[in-house]
Amino acid sequence: MTEQPRAIDEMNPDGVPRKVLFVAGAGRSGTSTLAGIVSKLGMHVPLPEVPPDDSNPRGFSEPQWVVDVHDEWLAEALVQVSDSRPNAWFDTGRICSREPARIRVSEWLEPHFAEHPELVIKDPRLSWFLGLWRVAAIRTGATPVFATMLRPPAEVVGSKQKYYANKLGSSHLAASWVNMLLHTERATRPAEGDGGRVFVRYEDLLTDWVKTTTALGHALDLQTIIHTRSDQIREVHRFIDPNLRRVTSTLDDLGLPKRLHDLTGQTWEELNKLADEGGDTTQAHATFDQLRQEYVDLYEEAEAISRSTAEHARHQARRRARAEAAEGQRSLADRVPHDVRAAIPPSVRRGMRKALGRSRDDQP
Amino acid sequence: MTIPIGSGHGLTNLEGHTDFDIVWPWNQPGGLSRGSTAVLRVKNEAPGLRFVLPPLLRACDHVLLVDNGSDDGTGEEALRVAAEHGLSDRFTLKEYPFQVARAGAEHLSVNERSVHSLAYFYNWCFSHVRTRYSWKWDGDMVLTTEGEVSMSDLSWQVGMAEAVIRFPRHGLYIESDRKAYLDLGLRNIEEWGFPMSPDYVYTKAPEWEIRTTPDRIEMFALPQGLCVELKWLDGDEFAHWTNPESFATSIRNRRKRREWLVWNALHDGEVPEGVVEIESPEGVHVVDHVTHTWLPRAPRPFVVDDPDHAKLHLRA
Repeated sequence: MTEQPRAIDEMNPDGVPRKVLFVAGAGRSGTSTLAGIVSKLGMHVPLPEVPPDDSNPRGFSEPQWVVDVHDEWLAEALVQVSDSRPNAWFDTGRICSREPARIRVSEWLEPHFAEHPELVIKDPRLSWFLGLWRVAAIRTGATPVFATMLRPPAEVVGSKQKYYANKLGSSHLAASWVNMLLHTERATRPAEGDGGRVFVRYEDLLTDWVKTTTALGHALDLQTIIHTRSDQIREVHRFIDPNLRRVTSTLDDLGLPKRLHDLTGQTWEELNKLADEGGDTTQAHATFDQLRQEYVDLYEEAEAISRSTAEHARHQARRRARAEAAEGQRSLADRVPHDVRAAIPPSVRRGMRKALGRSRDDQP
Repeated sequence: MTIPIGSGHGLTNLEGHTDFDIVWPWNQPGGLSRGSTAVLRVKNEAPGLRFVLPPLLRACDHVLLVDNGSDDGTGEEALRVAAEHGLSDRFTLKEYPFQVARAGAEHLSVNERSVHSLAYFYNWCFSHVRTRYSWKWDGDMVLTTEGEVSMSDLSWQVGMAEAVIRFPRHGLYIESDRKAYLDLGLRNIEEWGFPMSPDYVYTKAPEWEIRTTPDRIEMFALPQGLCVELKWLDGDEFAHWTNPESFATSIRNRRKRREWLVWNALHDGEVPEGVVEIESPEGVHVVDHVTHTWLPRAPRPFVVDDPDHAKLHLRA
């Protein structure tokens, strides 16, 4: 767990402009590691945090409120954290457009600046609501900056299958990764009022976190990172465990359908270029626009082909709902198996009916 | 049910100007790509374009500006602004050479298949869109910072959803570089975002054009405080109307009547109820101040106190 925020020591915190670092990317990509590092270097994770568990024993650096509100809205929008549907972005986008949601997030964010002018917000669900958080930053007079973590898709999928016992299969998880990363790239493109974005390879973070984090601090002009203290640096050295990268596999190991395999590979290749200095260019954006279009086309084709499965699931759900409704209407006695009811002496059954104020038409 | 007018290959005009016949964009080779295009139909809007175009160019995949007979250098100014912001590749300028009927009585008298009809003009403009979503936009509408990022997100999120998006706006009456009046006494929210398909084409309404929709659509509104509409107090704001009597005809013209009232009051040196006087800091243009600072930081919920709104049961 992150400790209480520490002053920016030799700096005057009052003179540091408000800034929010949004750590985005697919879950199991090192988002917790990056958020953990910057919080140990002095940035503030709004409290309380989600407690650590077996899947992330060193903690998540996730504000509990953020996780809860995202879960609430994802459920409302019928969107999964790992969702491969391109249309899911509009489902969450509608929620981001609502005034009550904008007010709720802005009002939650505002008081945390009293703790520290530079905050870090991280949650694997964050990409679905980046627009909303950007608005909240604008409304609270803060500059939003974005860091997207990059980890090879084969490792993300492998890690999810290992830690979340995911039964959905690698194709779905790989498609969800492509959907998440291609649209996160789109959502974090420079906009009016932004303070920039960076893409960070998980591998770089583990190999040389000092170099990687210092570059991030300068690129996003994060005063806390630039002017961090020696004891805070030492703490990160105690926190970073090179063995964190525990899953290693290749894309070939996933056995994806060819088009998805190729698209996943190309997406990873292009994302990697964004992490290089000077790689985030308008030409790169055009390439990502093409990749996004290809993914949408692929998904729409797959959706058209598997229409029967979707229809079948809809009919099954309707039947189940009808059965549950009928079940709800059955009396308590009807729910007791017939042989059990038959074993109860008639006089006792009559007594029970009388006690419950019920009688049968065929009996006096 | 398909809208009859949009179901064919396109439209021809009564005057026989074949070079201005319309081919619906979904029938063009290559079809439509994902993303959004803002379409502006303008006449003599040069002074405001330095405020209007930059956020719009950043928020949309493309901006199409159709100049309809300007004599104040509107086209040149638009090209200059796009180039200045390094966004020329997202910008297209086109010219429509025919005189278009002014809103109101003049519009009512023109056949919608005439090149002089507002409906035909709009259909011609939107026939040049090559994306699946479109924003109808005016040459005096300026996005706030929040408006820009909201429009930007929706532009790529909307995909092929059958969604019509309503955008609220507030009149900003500009007296000088540092002084303006923001009208928060009218709740004005109109439909500005539409999918591009045969179901969404322009046809005729009594005072102006109207965009068709299928019988079942999803419509949702963006919050207040995301867009202002520039009114230059030294300009000729009502030139595109036949005469003031033209907007005294129906409840649909409520906005114009309010603008007429505010405009005349400010010219008489009075600040009407619901109008806020705003002065910008030294060195900052008042339009930039309102759209980048004043409106984005205004307390929420952003209150627009329109006494007639509830009475009229208008949606917003």
